[in-house]
Amino acid sequence: MRNLLNFLTRHNNLIIFLILEGIAFYLLATGNNYHNSRLVNGVRGLTRGIEEKINNTRSYLRLHEINENLAAENVALKNRLGQLVRKENSLFFSVADSIYKQQYLHTSAEVIDNSINRQKNFFTINKGRHQGVKVDMAVISEKSVAGVIVGCSEYYSVAMSLINLDFKLSARIKSTGYFGSLSWNGRDYRYAVLSEIPQHVIVNVGDTIETTGYSAIFPEGVIVGTVSDYEKFGGDFYKITISLKTDFKKLHFVDIIANMKKTEQVELEKLFQ
Amino acid sequence: MINSILRFALIFILLLLFQVLLFNNIQFSGYVNPYVYIMFILLLPIEIPSWLLLLLSFVTGLIIDFFSGSPGMHTSATVLAGFVRPYVLRLVSPRDGYEPGSDPSMVIYGFRWFLTYALLIVLVHHTSLFYLEVFRFADFFRTMLRVLLSTFFTMTFILLIEFYRRGR
Repeated sequence: MRNLLNFLTRHNNLIIFLILEGIAFYLLATGNNYHNSRLVNGVRGLTRGIEEKINNTRSYLRLHEINENLAAENVALKNRLGQLVRKENSLFFSVADSIYKQQYLHTSAEVIDNSINRQKNFFTINKGRHQGVKVDMAVISEKSVAGVIVGCSEYYSVAMSLINLDFKLSARIKSTGYFGSLSWNGRDYRYAVLSEIPQHVIVNVGDTIETTGYSAIFPEGVIVGTVSDYEKFGGDFYKITISLKTDFKKLHFVDIIANMKKTEQVELEKLFQ
Repeated sequence: MINSILRFALIFILLLLFQVLLFNNIQFSGYVNPYVYIMFILLLPIEIPSWLLLLLSFVTGLIIDFFSGSPGMHTSATVLAGFVRPYVLRLVSPRDGYEPGSDPSMVIYGFRWFLTYALLIVLVHHTSLFYLEVFRFADFFRTMLRVLLSTFFTMTFILLIEFYRRGR
């Protein structure tokens, strides 16, 4: 007993050190859900006011550009609408139809906090549980992939950015339809890597890469970027470098997409796994 | 005593504001992230009890973690820095030992002493921080490059601040 006490007094620094490091590692290990914890939300609440102020100023300065984008999008949507109306007429489809169910719901939100200089980047948006945002919803910015919601509080949500080492996405080459796995390699926020494309596939610089919709998070055909470089890698596969369409440095207005049939797809797939 | 507590509280708040408002926003190709707040650990008095040093490191890291949304990362790196500080001090101690009741500053012990002392601790802190952030040994050398570049920039800022303090 005496020896033990001696030992403790002699090494009390080491013991305090180990205890504090233990707490730190505990935080690190359980950190994935930290956005839900009250404590962090409370503290983040203090900084949020400032962040929103800065953000308001920034969005005012970019109004011109945003207007142009909106106008372009409007034109594109109007064109689509024209096509749809004609199609519906020819199929007698426009009857009040209760069987027809919409699969994807869109809502827009504003990015109020963003990072691009870490290895695991997240951004915060100004909609939360109260507005119906849930974990695992897709986030796109001007029709290209931006991230996935990973945590929601009452009025805010945090999304994992595409430029995060943990982000994985099923994507394909638009022209040929071959799909592979897309991830970020932690280097440049403008580029990501598409792997698992076999070498017999013809790849060209400038090919468009889009999502496959296999994951039930992103709808099919959302643009990711274009091929900027490719090399043979590990025998059978290409390693394709993709220039991302989303500019994460000026991420501002985003759309959140909810897949209404996600549960159905996931439950069905679970039966066969 | 009260006076010096106030002084360190002021240094603490200033460094914290610097870090959160300025240095956290420096985005230079993902390789350079200066973490100047570690200077607080460097500046604490030489004779501070180790338990207090560890506790202060813990609190500093925790606050930085809150502001950068990275739970535990800065905490564990800063606690490690606080833990190695007494050993570094012993390692680089001047020939006649330290003056009782003094601060580890450039004014008293000279530029070269301060440089080695700060460099060692900043290296320990940055190494553990960046490897914890990536949490894998793939890309080992790229992470090392990030450590070295960021250490260089952190050291530059720390020396600038220290020169400014000496100038006054």
